[in-house]
Amino acid sequence: MMTAAAVLPTGVLLPESILHADSFKVLATFVALNTLMYATLAVLKVLPKGYAFSWFNGRNRRAQNRSIYPEPPSSEG
Amino acid sequence: MADPAAEPAAEPAAEPAAAGAFARLIGLVIFGLAAIAGAVLLAAASAVDPQVEMAPIQGDLLGFWRVLYATEAPSVRVAVAAVALAAMLASGVAIVELRITNRSRRSVDARADPLAPKLVMARTVDIFAGPVTVTVLIPAHDEEVSLPQTVASLVGQTHPPERIIVVADNCTDSTVEVARRAGVEVVESVGNVHKKAGALNQVLRRLLPSQGDNDIVMIVDADTRLDDGFLEAAVARFSADRALMAIGGLFYGEDGAGVLGQFQRNEYSRYSRDIRRRRGRVFVLTGTASMFRPGALRAVAQSRGSAIPGTPGDVYDTAALTEDNELTMALKSLGALMISPSPCTVVTEVMPTWRALWNQRLRWQRGALENLGAYGLRPKTFRYWAQQLGIGYGVIALGGYVALIVLTVLSVSSWVWFPFWMGLGVLFALERVVTVWAGGWRARLLAAALLPELVFASFLDVVYLTGVVDILFGRRAGWKHVSRPPTAEAPDDDTVTAVSLG
Repeated sequence: MMTAAAVLPTGVLLPESILHADSFKVLATFVALNTLMYATLAVLKVLPKGYAFSWFNGRNRRAQNRSIYPEPPSSEG
Repeated sequence: MADPAAEPAAEPAAEPAAAGAFARLIGLVIFGLAAIAGAVLLAAASAVDPQVEMAPIQGDLLGFWRVLYATEAPSVRVAVAAVALAAMLASGVAIVELRITNRSRRSVDARADPLAPKLVMARTVDIFAGPVTVTVLIPAHDEEVSLPQTVASLVGQTHPPERIIVVADNCTDSTVEVARRAGVEVVESVGNVHKKAGALNQVLRRLLPSQGDNDIVMIVDADTRLDDGFLEAAVARFSADRALMAIGGLFYGEDGAGVLGQFQRNEYSRYSRDIRRRRGRVFVLTGTASMFRPGALRAVAQSRGSAIPGTPGDVYDTAALTEDNELTMALKSLGALMISPSPCTVVTEVMPTWRALWNQRLRWQRGALENLGAYGLRPKTFRYWAQQLGIGYGVIALGGYVALIVLTVLSVSSWVWFPFWMGLGVLFALERVVTVWAGGWRARLLAAALLPELVFASFLDVVYLTGVVDILFGRRAGWKHVSRPPTAEAPDDDTVTAVSLG
């Protein structure tokens, strides 16, 4: 599964020195930042969603009966 | 949901005709904005110190196990900033959308929001327009195979519809006979060249004037099956709230089509989960199955050409590639209240081949962008702009990720551990699995593998870019009708679907 080479090997196709280039580090940092941002969104997707505002906000309650029947047997108030 | 009037492949389909400069540039504008955001983050990344290190170093694990690993994690300060930025963006979009929705729901501005609940309530106070009835329109273009199932799923509802009308549009098969045998009404379109939207417009023009306030019009695609209880739940909602203007179905992909089908089923599961978590607040009134109060459709037809784009008198905008998405925007623009209740589910077709999926998604993606171009930036379209910007940024982020992985893999020749990336990989796998949990073990297994869905996401990204380029160069777009000989085992191998993810 893993090798523990005594000397860091050269790459399959590209020289390993690429990994030390400044531009590569910028790319790696850019991708790391993005990945962290998407990971945050992933956590938000997994967590159960709270609807705290609507528990306390009376404005979400309907102020009048909206049924199609003018005088329904039970009013929703 | 076959295209009810697909043209032969050789014949040119609808040009995005109304294309002004803005409409042509819409894809580029949105992708450009996403690219600017990417450039800003790239600049931030170049200023970060210390930077993320991918080069492997050698270390000992447990004192004796020599491993190659990369200390690639950003510093805690930078990581916290990234997390905070993402959380701020997500909650910012959600809060702004909620404010816009609530403002619309409470509007009393008859000019801007003629369909706003308070105004509808005032217009209908103490008027009883009769109990709720349902008239179903099934647009059908060569749907002899799937139509019987669709009709059966409607007739078998606990609350069956009062009327079912098959809108046969330029059919060359026995759709009309099949519909008549099933005992439903059939109306054939006359000289229609605007496909599904045009055929529905013809029928709605005749039907709508005679419909009362509670005589609901439902549009169901010919290869969609309603789950039992859909109409009962919907009728209860329409009865309880006379200001409710539309109900959109939640759709699931039907079985079949192997892994490709599973990708789509997973997508649809996640979409339905999202809508449930939004407590039914609609993105798109799906073309597969949606219900409308006739007054809402009449208001749309009257407002076309002034408050909203399109030809005056038309319910559906025949220039739109995704007419269901466009109608949703139209209704939202007029202040209409609409929901997707969780019992209102339908099973719809999945694309059987990559080519069919490509055509379908290119049409959806182009349609979504072109609709934004037609409506422009207004509060009611904010959520759709945010969504398209999100997709555009996703293309850039995934592109960067793939570039980094490829470069790294090609530059090392032995196994290297990347604890930071692997840790996040576990988190992403968790999110993928949890969000498709309802889809069963196949869905979870595919999600847990992570890589296949990443490849699928890349496919959709290429579709997105193609859509942007096609709009820019004004390439023709349209429905591609993929007909296949019907087989008993594979009823899903039928035609191109026409739902919209929005």
